[in-house]
Amino acid sequence: MKSRESRRYQLSIDTGGTFTDAVIADWRGALYLGKALTTPRDISLGVREAIQAAAAESGLELQALLAATDLLVYGTTAATNAIVTRKVARTAMLCTEGIEDVLLFREGGKSNAHDFTQPFPQPYVARRHTFGVRERINAEGGVERPLDEDHLVSLLRTISERGFEALAVCLLFSVVNPAHERRIGELAAAHLPGIPVTLSHRLLPILREFRRASATAINASLRPGMARHLGRMEKSLRELGYDGPLLVSTSTGGCMEVPMLLEQPVHLVKSGPAMAPVAAREYSRREGETCDLIVCDTGGTTFDVGMIRDGDLVRTRETWLGPRFSGELLCLSSVDVRSVGAGGGSIAWMDAAGLLRVGPQSAGAEPGPACYGRGGTDATVTDAALVAGYLPSEGLLGGRMALDVDAARAAVARIAAALGRDLPETAHAIINVAGETMITAIVDITVAEGLDPRDCTLVAGGGAAGLNVVAIARELGCARVLLPKTASAMSACGMQFADIVFEQAAGAFTTSSAFDRALVEKALAAVRAELAAVEDSLHSGSGQSRTDLFVEARYEGQVWQLDVPLAGWELGPAEVGALVRAFHAVHQRVFAVCDERSELEFLTWKGRLTVTLPKKEALRQPLRDARPLPRQRRQAFFDGVGLVDTGFFPGGELAAGAVIEGPAVITEATTTIVIPPGATATLSACGSYLIDTGVRA
Amino acid sequence: MNRAAAKSSDGLRDPVLAAVLANRFDGIVREMTNTLLRSARSALINTGRDFSCAITTADNRLLAVAEGLPVHTFGSHIQTASMTRLHSDLARGDAFLHNDPYLGNTHPADQTVLVPVFADGRHIFTACAKAHQADIGNSIPSTYHFGAKDVYEEGSVIFPCVRLERRYQMIDDVVRTGMRRIRVPEQWRGDLLAALGAARTAERRLEELCRRYSTEVIDTFIEDWLDYSETRMMQAIRALPKAVLSADGAHDPVQPFLPDGVPLHVSLDVDPDQARIVVDLRDNIDCVDAGLNESEACAINNVTTGIFNCLDPTIPRNSGSFRRIEVLLRDNCVVGRPRFPKSCSMATTNVGDRLVNLVQRAFASLGEGYGLAEGGVSLGAGAAVISGEDYRRGGRPYVNQLLIGGNGGPGGPSCDGWLTYGIPVVAGLTYGDSIELDELRFPILFATVRLMPGTAGAGRYRGAPAMETSYGVRGGRMIVVIISDGQYNAPRGVLGGGDGCLATTHLVYTNAVEQRVANFDIVLLDGTAVLRGRTNSGAGYGDPRTRDPRAVRDDVLEGWETPERAREVYGVCLTGSIDDESLAVDIEATTHLRR
Repeated sequence: MKSRESRRYQLSIDTGGTFTDAVIADWRGALYLGKALTTPRDISLGVREAIQAAAAESGLELQALLAATDLLVYGTTAATNAIVTRKVARTAMLCTEGIEDVLLFREGGKSNAHDFTQPFPQPYVARRHTFGVRERINAEGGVERPLDEDHLVSLLRTISERGFEALAVCLLFSVVNPAHERRIGELAAAHLPGIPVTLSHRLLPILREFRRASATAINASLRPGMARHLGRMEKSLRELGYDGPLLVSTSTGGCMEVPMLLEQPVHLVKSGPAMAPVAAREYSRREGETCDLIVCDTGGTTFDVGMIRDGDLVRTRETWLGPRFSGELLCLSSVDVRSVGAGGGSIAWMDAAGLLRVGPQSAGAEPGPACYGRGGTDATVTDAALVAGYLPSEGLLGGRMALDVDAARAAVARIAAALGRDLPETAHAIINVAGETMITAIVDITVAEGLDPRDCTLVAGGGAAGLNVVAIARELGCARVLLPKTASAMSACGMQFADIVFEQAAGAFTTSSAFDRALVEKALAAVRAELAAVEDSLHSGSGQSRTDLFVEARYEGQVWQLDVPLAGWELGPAEVGALVRAFHAVHQRVFAVCDERSELEFLTWKGRLTVTLPKKEALRQPLRDARPLPRQRRQAFFDGVGLVDTGFFPGGELAAGAVIEGPAVITEATTTIVIPPGATATLSACGSYLIDTGVRA
Repeated sequence: MNRAAAKSSDGLRDPVLAAVLANRFDGIVREMTNTLLRSARSALINTGRDFSCAITTADNRLLAVAEGLPVHTFGSHIQTASMTRLHSDLARGDAFLHNDPYLGNTHPADQTVLVPVFADGRHIFTACAKAHQADIGNSIPSTYHFGAKDVYEEGSVIFPCVRLERRYQMIDDVVRTGMRRIRVPEQWRGDLLAALGAARTAERRLEELCRRYSTEVIDTFIEDWLDYSETRMMQAIRALPKAVLSADGAHDPVQPFLPDGVPLHVSLDVDPDQARIVVDLRDNIDCVDAGLNESEACAINNVTTGIFNCLDPTIPRNSGSFRRIEVLLRDNCVVGRPRFPKSCSMATTNVGDRLVNLVQRAFASLGEGYGLAEGGVSLGAGAAVISGEDYRRGGRPYVNQLLIGGNGGPGGPSCDGWLTYGIPVVAGLTYGDSIELDELRFPILFATVRLMPGTAGAGRYRGAPAMETSYGVRGGRMIVVIISDGQYNAPRGVLGGGDGCLATTHLVYTNAVEQRVANFDIVLLDGTAVLRGRTNSGAGYGDPRTRDPRAVRDDVLEGWETPERAREVYGVCLTGSIDDESLAVDIEATTHLRR
């Protein structure tokens, strides 16, 4: 028996739009989940309640838990919500004169050529809040027009008088020559005391003025609000008795300390979804998996998909918040997680020409699916699951939420009549078509990276994941599915496994045939110095760290770059040769062609610092070779066999090592896992269901 | 489950499978699109997205277009028909290069890679990747040769559906031919490889799909999907009033080739009883001795685009829905079919843009709720083809079309015009250039790229405003080829909506002297002047004095409209000021003014 002193805990909290999840890892590696409703007016209430719920699971009082907690990771959707609802600081934007409309024009593009019913999107910062600075720098960094400081000062006075709360600055080619942006920073500090200023070359040193301007504007607009939010959260956690390090999860798939985020709150955006792949990576490592992962998180209304390739998170510089083209584009390197509107609440309908459609309309939580009995009459995916026989007769949440089977049948019957099929078959068709939106999202994200789904294991989380995940995996050709028992809190679990991650980039344009080693090594030295300064400033972490280096490269004439890893800080002829070969290989993988005759262009040199945080190893249960008997048997509908006798297994009664052959349904408190005929689920020592889908690669 | 037995009331053999597979085909086209966008070399393709991908059936019916430009994709099946006609020995591993406007292509600049896809040993699909090249070896450094009296003067290299690959091996003869005749040949070769990569990607996916579902199921799906699409189109047409519609307009004069411009006439027979629309383009002048003739593909696809613009935007766009549209053409007519060797150099844009506009304006004569106003049509300074030698890189040659600061889009029955609309044939789908990337790549320096306040065609739903783009050359000399329609005949408003503004091009010298440039011209920039282009705004839909006064206020607040025009054109009186955000509608004064 361990001494009381060694009974230490690690806590993670994820405040989502609807629920706040808390996860406790104890000293043995056991995980305890607590859920509470998010409390928008005072987030700390929901946080406290969720911690309390998790503490209760672990058999502790709140105070005792917090006193014995070594590390706390906090995640929040506050930044995402602030952008979506535009409840952000009143922000002024400074751009190069003549080019002030950069946020308005965006990069063009539209989703349907024939749709003339979409209004043109508003710029993130209004035109009337955007001001032109008299200056101009050219592509090589030369000054075409010196900065007119008198004019600038008059602009800053105007900004001061009109009560702006934040300032964003994005000048053309500031990445090549930041002198003018720096000078604006100095003058703004003098003329706009107390107003946070975001300079584009500091935040995101990449070319493409819209992308840089967009990130800069978003960051600037978040600074005052996120500073208040994080300050209040820290204060309330301290008042509850927590005195250890506080880390906050970010979109890079790691966490950062609060002071860094006060300057760059843009990293908080979509940080929750970024944590699901982190969780998936750890769960699959525990099972000894080595292949690439497709990571799905299914909620009531959205389906998020991400990837793990070669053991690493897949990142992107193109993340849309909201619809593509009309939402906001986040161009910081962040975990590639794409969201589509699909989930248990998606509504099935027949269009006028006789095609079965599911979504994009959703019944949401209110009125919800017909079977919730809250007045919904449309057939949703959840209703279809009930009619197909996949949901336990006692209802959801271990029986706390009863389901109205008759209402579900009535709803599905209307579709069945139009479709000319019987009820179970129709229900199954609805689930199939709903899965199609998810398959599209998975295919889109994997092909963009040149990943073949058939070589991947599918890791599924979220409350609605288990209904059709095996069917989706089969359709994609995946042989294995991993579904952790803690699937309903993927993001909060991911925070338990996260490290401190910080990226820094520097631009240095050169080519493969005339490689400017001095220029590149100077850029890398700047990256190295910046990362060292960040590492020195940290208060938490194990002291173990590593830095991964990358360059964004392309063929001459291309404009979209690919990331290629560097072996080290030095770039002699041998290293450059290896780099060129690595680029051809990446290009071949992603685009199905490579062009070895073409010259390469190198643009942005990036370093990613990872400081390891202490982690608990998984608690392993002894394996028992068992074929448990079902608690009950019911009829459920499956492709190819129709209605068949299906065993229902409460997950809480299963021991590690249990093997369950389909057709079967495993009911967990927060999710239901459907195992079709031909598939087999095994509960692992670490508490994950490993499902052999029956597909042979 | 017996799939054949499950027949829905509307005749789909398998409505569930149709939903699933339609989605897969769109996914494949999106993957092609992603491949081509990301790996292409010329800015026009990799930044501007002036390209499209499509899948046709072996018997040359258009099946899937995803997000392709309508002007590119709607004729893909006409193009693949020439492949099956000319090549009786199609085999797996083949690829063809096709840019022949007399054999179903749009215009010579749109080089298309066609890959026949095989399953169970038979040709089942053709994957099409069409991209607008930065150069095609014309006798002037532009892919739009307005003055070409015939294809010989035009000078483009035409590949009349020639075999590019056999057994997956490149036939170098073809590539060498292009490398000798096309400016900046490495850029061209890179773009060709990108298009080939996209088509091969589709081939791989289509083969997988056929293995997964069996060709039998796929064949069933094809018929199901085209029938379904036809049904959707029939339902849309049945909801229209029965009418014979027509509209007249003109492409601007072009000196000295076309002093009277190109007068245009379209008539449409909308027949809800038969669920058909017949478009007659035969009552138009003969082919002209200039590069403005429509190819057969463009004549058909541009009027079809105009029709789709006026219907439910979710109707699938394929040969199924096209069955309900008939386009009547005649030989040697300026709006199709061109008689060889008359030039179709500019078939996708100028006259093509006017055709889209005429059709959607004709639909508006059905009354409120129907049709659209006209969108901007100029291809001025911001859409010019620039070329020269880059003094910064030892005089290396460059050529590329700019895509920056386009025209305003048209007002419609329920919405204002789209700001980054471009021209009618692309309708906002193309991307705009990045100023920084253009300046990095070419010795160009932009002075302005901005919205022009107070220019929008007024209406209950207004057009989008015009834009101004100006730039100079940083060193050496730059040739700029401009083909700007919309300088004499403005985009027309409908149902009381105002016209869009006219486009202009000027040289602005360092001493502030401004000199008007002809609408179609080749300009030499040498550092003494900046070229300034102003585009058309989109035209308005409906009476501007019925526009929601709050929308007028928002336009003034954001500097899209002026307070003067708010009062005079829209009849809206405003109080308060922009600076302190107190701008508000004076309801009483507005009501009085609008009385």
